[in-house]
Amino acid sequence: MMNLLFVCGLCVFFGVTLLQAVFAARASAAVRRFSLWAMLCANLLLLAFSLTIVLRNSTFYLNLYQISAAMRFSFSVDRLAAYFIMIISLVSATVCLYSLGYVEHHGSNTGKNFLLAMMSLFIVSMLLLVASDNTFSLLFFWEIMSITSFLMVMFDRDQADTRKSGLFYFVMTQMSTAFLMFGFIAIYHVSGSFDIAPVTGISETFKAFIFLSLFIGFGIKAGVMPFHKWLPYAHSASPSNISALMSGVMIKVAIYGLIRYLLFVLTPDRWWGVMILVFGTFSALLGVIYALKEHDIKKLLAYHSIENIGIILIGIGLYLIFQSYGFSDLATLALIGSLFHTLNHALFKSLLFLTTGSVVNATGTRNIEKMGGLIKVMPYTGILFLIGSVSIAALPPFNGFVSELMIFQAFLQSFIISNPFLKIILFLGLSLFALTSALAAACFVKAFGVIFLATPRSEEARKAKEVSWYMIAGPAIIAVLCILLGIFSFQLFSSLGFTLPITNMAFIGLALLVILGLVWLIMRLVGNRTTRRSETWGCGIISQHSNMEYTASGFSEPILTIFRPIYRTRKNVDRNFHDPGRSIFKDGIAEIHTFKLFEERIYLPVAHFIEKLSGVVSNLHDVDLDTYILYSFAAVVILIIAVGWFI
Amino acid sequence: MLSFLIYALVNTVFVILISPLFVSLIKKVKAYMQGREGPPLLQTYYLLGKLLKKETVYSGNTSLIIRITPYVNVVCVIAASLFVPVIYIPMSVGGIGNIILFLYLLVCAKFFMALAGLDAGSTFGGMGSSREMTVSAVIEPVIIIVFAALSLLLKTTNLYQMFAISLKSSLFINPSTLLISLSLFIILIVESARIPVDNPETHLELTMIHEAMLLEYSGPDLAMMEISHAIKQTLLMAVLINVLIPWGLTATPGVLSVSISVITFIAKGAVLAIVVGVFESLFAKSRLFRLPNLFMLAFFFSFSTILFELLR
Repeated sequence: MMNLLFVCGLCVFFGVTLLQAVFAARASAAVRRFSLWAMLCANLLLLAFSLTIVLRNSTFYLNLYQISAAMRFSFSVDRLAAYFIMIISLVSATVCLYSLGYVEHHGSNTGKNFLLAMMSLFIVSMLLLVASDNTFSLLFFWEIMSITSFLMVMFDRDQADTRKSGLFYFVMTQMSTAFLMFGFIAIYHVSGSFDIAPVTGISETFKAFIFLSLFIGFGIKAGVMPFHKWLPYAHSASPSNISALMSGVMIKVAIYGLIRYLLFVLTPDRWWGVMILVFGTFSALLGVIYALKEHDIKKLLAYHSIENIGIILIGIGLYLIFQSYGFSDLATLALIGSLFHTLNHALFKSLLFLTTGSVVNATGTRNIEKMGGLIKVMPYTGILFLIGSVSIAALPPFNGFVSELMIFQAFLQSFIISNPFLKIILFLGLSLFALTSALAAACFVKAFGVIFLATPRSEEARKAKEVSWYMIAGPAIIAVLCILLGIFSFQLFSSLGFTLPITNMAFIGLALLVILGLVWLIMRLVGNRTTRRSETWGCGIISQHSNMEYTASGFSEPILTIFRPIYRTRKNVDRNFHDPGRSIFKDGIAEIHTFKLFEERIYLPVAHFIEKLSGVVSNLHDVDLDTYILYSFAAVVILIIAVGWFI
Repeated sequence: MLSFLIYALVNTVFVILISPLFVSLIKKVKAYMQGREGPPLLQTYYLLGKLLKKETVYSGNTSLIIRITPYVNVVCVIAASLFVPVIYIPMSVGGIGNIILFLYLLVCAKFFMALAGLDAGSTFGGMGSSREMTVSAVIEPVIIIVFAALSLLLKTTNLYQMFAISLKSSLFINPSTLLISLSLFIILIVESARIPVDNPETHLELTMIHEAMLLEYSGPDLAMMEISHAIKQTLLMAVLINVLIPWGLTATPGVLSVSISVITFIAKGAVLAIVVGVFESLFAKSRLFRLPNLFMLAFFFSFSTILFELLR
């Protein structure tokens, strides 16, 4: 039965890829609709498959194809893998539903067909990656996932921006594969097999090397600072349904890899936990701080993905620290909190990206300064975006709150650790975590307020129309899940066999409802119910103009000023004067730049170094035949000496 | 369960009824410090009653956000009031009393209030919400560290248990509560929008934060916003009182003990309100970008509490 579900699901995905790729030039909108419905069904099959395993806590094994004993495509799904398969198929299913309305909006016929072929291959590669039980197949599907996502990022390849983003993404993703390979080869060197199985008896330094290369490899893909730079580029360039998949699901696959290797393969040291905690805290804080200054809504969401990956890493770090001290209750709380946040982030982030896609589609711009007042013309999209914002801002009783509550709870009980130095680190981490979550709330007040409230600030926003039914239904399903997962979190964990010291949100939700009912009743009885429509009060100005509204820049200005040392803004003022005494002003330019710390201090120096190195190598090539013979001679001599040395 | 329901009802009604009194008392003290007579002590009740009878005026630019926000605010703040016992300390039901949940219910109210500030498209509202979110973001690490210090000191993360423990122990056993109380007092000033952070007196000045967001409100909606702000202030006062001077608060329900709790709470609250009024009169409104310095002070007090506790 389980075999059937799994294999059927895979077959549908591969079938869709084939169908869309082979008939890419000819297939019509009807074929595309069929493909999307087929993908939706396949996702539901896999959702049923994974839910069964998660609920029953069983395992599943399938050896699909074997090249040799070491190199095989074999899959084994335990509870952890099934949990991630559930996240992937759940989000993908809603994205497919949304895409039914979305894909027809732009691009050529061939382009759209190709996009669907890649999307199907992308989803199936993530599913198989998570299910893989050996390094060979994991790396194989990792590469397919990277390449298909790269091709989808390049969907609008006529634009120079997109090409730059695509190249950036491609280089980063290949670097992540290279680092993973270092780690996997090192593990193979010790254990002699490609299986994902516990490795023992490694020296401390070698283990540290394996951990660091795996952390960098998975970290690049997950978007951990300082390896995050591709994320805002790639997410803003790709179509919105693909952004939802990449941000909602793909970066979670990297988290899966990290958790899998930390929990099941390596035996972690205490400093790993501290390191992951520190990286997580800084990713979370800097992610939200950079998000605050963004006006490109998709880049803003991409920076929030970095923030949330940071929060997930904080949970993993706390787990490792508590585990190393033997406090397994707290360790479980932190790990479950972090896993639950993975699911929650997948949900609310894809919800936000999908609704953003609708908004961008309706207004034709990604700049939130040019929006405004959209809730009046797009009420459903607006309310769905509000639910996403409330979840990501971690307000009770939504799901984002529950997972952050679990991590807070684990943090607050860190006083039981005996090491005072570590305790201080943990309390500092706690305060930065609190700052992060408060800034996230500020950022989503800005995002929702500037996009949906007040009056339109451009002609496009004034003419915007509510999107089609499919593009509301997809996000609506996720929005309902966001609420349900928050309210019934306690019951959910109990049914899975975890009794955690968290608040019963169903009770709180009930209390809120009862209070709401009573307040409403009292206001009906004692309050005056007549209302009148009037103008916004504007100090006596005859009519309000949308130019007077608070914009996104204005909203985030105080925060930008307070955190100025982090943004490192540079002001550039050039003034020309009519007279030599510089008193009669003619014209001038004033610019404010935010210093791109990571790009200018880390990425560009590395890129310049590699460029220089490849210049040297290409100079070596540009010679005549005699020199080539000299190269060969030198190579032979070095080889002979080397062989003599080792044997 | 039934006893909890009774507690919830009595505690909530008491908090709602007492809150406007403290608001008027602070105004009265400030007026006295300025040499005026000031409004009568029941003025805030009259004001709320009058607002309930007036009609509501909405701007044509607004959406449903400005209409649901008063309800969200009142509901969140009343739910938060369940977390702060002032009549007696009940047994916790369903994890009520969790400090993180308490804080985030207040954040939820603030989130919607800030959205409502942006809703009408007025410059004042936008300015208010921008500043409110900035201040709340910068104060948040302080709040968390204060409560982390409390949970380190009292070894629990539940407000009910915290109050129960501080009721049993005296200041001499836990001198660190003095330091924490200083930070809690700063949080009370910040969250109830008072000088030097915000100025509750000046309507339509460029210094205001909280009032700017409420400019577009009128009638019963404004009454709901005002009462929820007053309740929030009472709750934060109650947290400070129950941590620093919990005597009089009882852990056992009963007519006599509950009435003692109520009377002592009103007395302690009145004293604290007078202190707040005097404090406000002594200071001037400080510049927005000077505020992080004040918050760093609170952060320093609470983090040093943690250091003392670790060294003990």
